Amino acid sequence: MSRPDWIVLALTLLGMIAYGLYKGRASKDLEGYFLSNRSVPWYMVLLGIMGTQASAVTFLSAPGQAYTDGMRFVQYYFGLPLAMVVLCISFVPVFHRLKVFTAYEYLEQRFDLKTRALTSFLFLVQRGLSTGISIAAPSIILSSLLGWNILWTNIFMGGLLIIYTVMGGAKAVAYTQQLQMIIIFGGMTIAGYLVIHRLPAGVGWTDILHTGGKAGKLNIITTGFRGKSFDWNDKYNLISGVIGGFFLALSYFGTDQSQVGRYLTARSLTESRIGLLLNGLVKVPMQFLILLLGVMVFTFYQYNREPIFFNQAELKALEHSKYKDSLVLVMGQYEAVDKERIGVGTGDAVTRAQRLVTIQKEKEGYKATIRRWLTETGQDSNDTNYIFLRFVTDYLPKGLVGLLIAVIFLAAWGSIAATLNSLSSCTIIDFHRRFSRRTISVEKEYLFSRLYTLFWGIFCVAVAQLAYNIGNSLIEAVNVLGSLFYGVILGIFLVAFYRKRIGGHAVFISAVIVEIGVVILTVLSRKGIVPLSFLWFNVVGAVGVVLLSEVLQLFMKKRPDPVVEKK
Amino acid sequence: MDEERAPLFKKWSYWYALVIGFLIVCIVLFYLLTKHFS
Repeated sequence: MSRPDWIVLALTLLGMIAYGLYKGRASKDLEGYFLSNRSVPWYMVLLGIMGTQASAVTFLSAPGQAYTDGMRFVQYYFGLPLAMVVLCISFVPVFHRLKVFTAYEYLEQRFDLKTRALTSFLFLVQRGLSTGISIAAPSIILSSLLGWNILWTNIFMGGLLIIYTVMGGAKAVAYTQQLQMIIIFGGMTIAGYLVIHRLPAGVGWTDILHTGGKAGKLNIITTGFRGKSFDWNDKYNLISGVIGGFFLALSYFGTDQSQVGRYLTARSLTESRIGLLLNGLVKVPMQFLILLLGVMVFTFYQYNREPIFFNQAELKALEHSKYKDSLVLVMGQYEAVDKERIGVGTGDAVTRAQRLVTIQKEKEGYKATIRRWLTETGQDSNDTNYIFLRFVTDYLPKGLVGLLIAVIFLAAWGSIAATLNSLSSCTIIDFHRRFSRRTISVEKEYLFSRLYTLFWGIFCVAVAQLAYNIGNSLIEAVNVLGSLFYGVILGIFLVAFYRKRIGGHAVFISAVIVEIGVVILTVLSRKGIVPLSFLWFNVVGAVGVVLLSEVLQLFMKKRPDPVVEKK
Repeated sequence: MDEERAPLFKKWSYWYALVIGFLIVCIVLFYLLTKHFS
């Protein structure tokens, strides 16, 4: 990175910390620290929800995913708007009426203490670990691409934000997320503009769409059917996106405290609802545009020299393996094919696209050889996460590279800061305060809340360091981890909201049994014994808990009339 | 439960219809894009 890039990066990050500290001055009690005194307007709720969901990998991996696999990943978000509607009807009014700090507080009022503690515990485990991975993901990419030390990158990625999150709590999180989202959207828009600007004269949107289409990158809608049978192992298609995505989004936004904590800060039920519903409106188009950026970068590389493998560090390591001589040969052949693109500049957009895709298919053969060698030598053969950032560092002007790297940091910070705040709130509200035999003063509760935020910050950075060798597509690793627990947690809440006659014992036992079942299912799926994509785990977990608790309740005493539903 | 009035529309159900309707429009547009450029 050049000096201007370092200056832009440092100023952006330091400015964000200062802004968080300045704006984060709230009343020194739990209401102020975790809920910003329930005073946040709808547009900050919206940006908070979006900033919490969109981590660094969203902006790093998604364009790369479109580049390699096409835009079908957008279908993963089709269930989200439906989930927003269900949340606004069922979940949000109850949380607001009961004035809870955490979603899990409601479960004690509806069921019992053990169900609340189990659900909160599952959240702490899942969220603590997945946040560690979401710190590691961009850190690994940046350290590999820019030669940075992984430990220091992890500390900067997951550590600096602790300063304003510990000091300012939810208010600092909300204000910084607002500014972060503005910078992120600005940076991505500039990147998109520069991709088009750097295409050859006479090549524009028509070429992007035709080239992307001919290469199979505009596979936005896929059904998941192969012949007459549905492929349950297919990750992203219309059916799994709507059904699996709905269950995942309902669980994430309705039962994950990192999201519940955002809309509980709203100044009224209406402001919470508007924030969530607008998220349902903008999320799918936003994800579409991020993926379209990947198709734009793909087209750009059809007119410019495309690296045979985007992760340079892995390719360099291959130069010292048993394949070093073969590598020189393949690289030479690849370069010769790649140069053929220079002659395709004539004709209309469709003809150009057809010629370029023919060349691309030939290049794919050489790329596949490199990936096979990398796998055989035990290296990471997936360069999806490196594509967009490699384009940024190779082709964007000085200063803008720093801004785009700052975008990656800020995206990570927004998501992690909200998570640390929620992990701390669950620890103090659902465990420390609930199980403490002594009454804790307001000052001590406030102090403990800050200490727990600090603890979770350090914990997540430590997990990130441990997850250094996780490999493969990291965005999926986070989602897979979430799908292990999300379905079961959602099942508990669905029983709470919709099956009034079911009591705490039935739902608790069901949750434990189904969670074990989901873990076994995940192992079997990973080994290829059960062909089922991870999005379906959410459906299995949620439906499993509802059905099993229905059955178990038949053998148990009728539960007393619910208390919390009465006004 | 809906003691707070919906902004812009008479009822919250209109908001819900807008969100679901917009999703359907997006899916249809995406389908047409996929078909046209494949």
